[in-house]
Amino acid sequence: MTDATTTPQTMSTARPEARSNVRLIQRVEPYLYVLPAAIFVVAFLLYPMVLTLIRSFTHDDGITAPEFVGLQNFVDLFNDPHFLLSLKNTLIWTIAAVVLPVTLGLVFALTLDGVRWSGLFKSVIYLPATVSAAAVGIIFSFIFGYENGALNALLNIFGIHSIRWLFEAPINTYSMIGAYTWQSTGLNMMLFLVGLQGLPREPIEAARLDGCSGFGLAWRIIIPMLMPYVVIATLLAVINGFKVFDQIWVMTQGGPGRSSETLAVTMYREGFVLFNQGYSAAIAVIIALAALIFSYFYLRSVLDQERQI
Amino acid sequence: MTALAVSSAEVQQPGAVQRNLGFVAAAILAIFWLAPLAILAMNAVKTPAEYLMTSNLAPPTTFNLLPNIEHAWAKGLSGGFINSLLYGLVGSAGAVGLASLAAFGIVRLKIPRGLFWFLLIYSGTIWPFQMYLIPLFNAYLQTGIYDTKVGMIGFYIAICIPFCTFVMRGFFLTVPWEIQEAAYVDGAGSWTVFWSIMFPMARAPMILLLLIQFTWIWNDLLFGLVLSKSETVRPVMVALVGMQGVYGAQDAPSVIAATLICSAPTLILFLFLQRYFVRGLTLGVGGGR
Repeated sequence: MTDATTTPQTMSTARPEARSNVRLIQRVEPYLYVLPAAIFVVAFLLYPMVLTLIRSFTHDDGITAPEFVGLQNFVDLFNDPHFLLSLKNTLIWTIAAVVLPVTLGLVFALTLDGVRWSGLFKSVIYLPATVSAAAVGIIFSFIFGYENGALNALLNIFGIHSIRWLFEAPINTYSMIGAYTWQSTGLNMMLFLVGLQGLPREPIEAARLDGCSGFGLAWRIIIPMLMPYVVIATLLAVINGFKVFDQIWVMTQGGPGRSSETLAVTMYREGFVLFNQGYSAAIAVIIALAALIFSYFYLRSVLDQERQI
Repeated sequence: MTALAVSSAEVQQPGAVQRNLGFVAAAILAIFWLAPLAILAMNAVKTPAEYLMTSNLAPPTTFNLLPNIEHAWAKGLSGGFINSLLYGLVGSAGAVGLASLAAFGIVRLKIPRGLFWFLLIYSGTIWPFQMYLIPLFNAYLQTGIYDTKVGMIGFYIAICIPFCTFVMRGFFLTVPWEIQEAAYVDGAGSWTVFWSIMFPMARAPMILLLLIQFTWIWNDLLFGLVLSKSETVRPVMVALVGMQGVYGAQDAPSVIAATLICSAPTLILFLFLQRYFVRGLTLGVGGGR
């Protein structure tokens, strides 16, 4: 019993320099644990991030030495019809990514909550979220196919002519948003189901006893109580909708021409196909600014929510 | 007595009707949602000739699944599949390991200015991927790790660390301090505390993180496109998309079969470990990587 408590004391009185060694080790020790992870993050993520920020103020074609041009890239961007179209497409994507998956997710959550076999149904709706965005792009490239795609085949049954789902703007953007909705509704639904589980039962039961049910109950009682989750899902959808790349790259590569590009695709094309690295970095900075603003509000509402629980 | 029974039946009936209505609505939704995958599966078993002659909605009359899979495998999928298994396993394990160490150092060893260190690491999740691409590509070319397996693994470890650190920090905050103090009194060093006490306790969040990060790495396309090019290095999604570009028109069934193969690992992981996925969702409120 006394052994454990006395040993450090006898050690410290006998050899003061050993004690200071122990102290030193204790002071250095935490850094040995934290530094490897920190070095990885700084080297692979934060350092490149700073370089992109610097590069956005330069003219850099990857061949001649970069030259500082101030805000010229940003001025050029807002005079570039390709960029403006890309910005418009991104806004369409962002709005659609909020309206469709979040609304459907909420409707699905309300429909599936408490229904027989709801576990099975939830898994089915969530299933596409486990598939990669690239695979979703390929799946829907076939479904939207012009010659023998499933959707045109279905239209033909009803005597409607085939539609060029992916080869004409702006319908290709809407088609891709449809595929995106198929994939991302499940995540929103799960989020709302988590929210539904945490709701207090008493107000809902009270409303039921007062004869409130179905749509009225959902609209007047449940959805207002779910509002914090609606806010979180919406902000998350904005952040993700702003960054969509994989699916567009697989389904249209931003084409035909550059008509269905979003900012992430334009950034990739300028940087890795056309090698306008400074210009491309400026687009990345614009994406980052937008993401940062919405991430700030997102984190704030998540933290508020956690504090309440 | 009878009046009571009648009234209770009256109250129950609308509820029952509504519940059945809800069930029917849910079933229709589920069938509608499964349709794209069902159509895909149907077309993965056709021969290329049959695929070209019939619509996607026509049920298959041939069963050519195995030759289609063989084609897909031989036409460049095999390399990507094995590469991504390696990247997913090593990348997620490396990230979870390093992040656990960091979170332990920040929370349990109380590194000075702990909040700074945490935010430094966590800030890796805030930036959109576009902010990393060009300098990474240039630096990879200059240092010679462009288009190498080491380069891919290094990046995947780094990109997964911030979210893992966030989750592990949350876990270490919940572990009672008495355990650690008792171990110190017994003369244990910090490594013993981490390895013999904390590590076994942290099994649940670690498995969850391995799952999430493996899925993320497996599904990645963008960084595979930017940091690799050869068949021996590129990850599975890059291989799949490349296949669609080359064979999508003439041998669609093989590409569809390939899509199924590439989606299988994460689908299976989800189906077997659903509970963990849902728990992961509540953990980071859908936190991306």
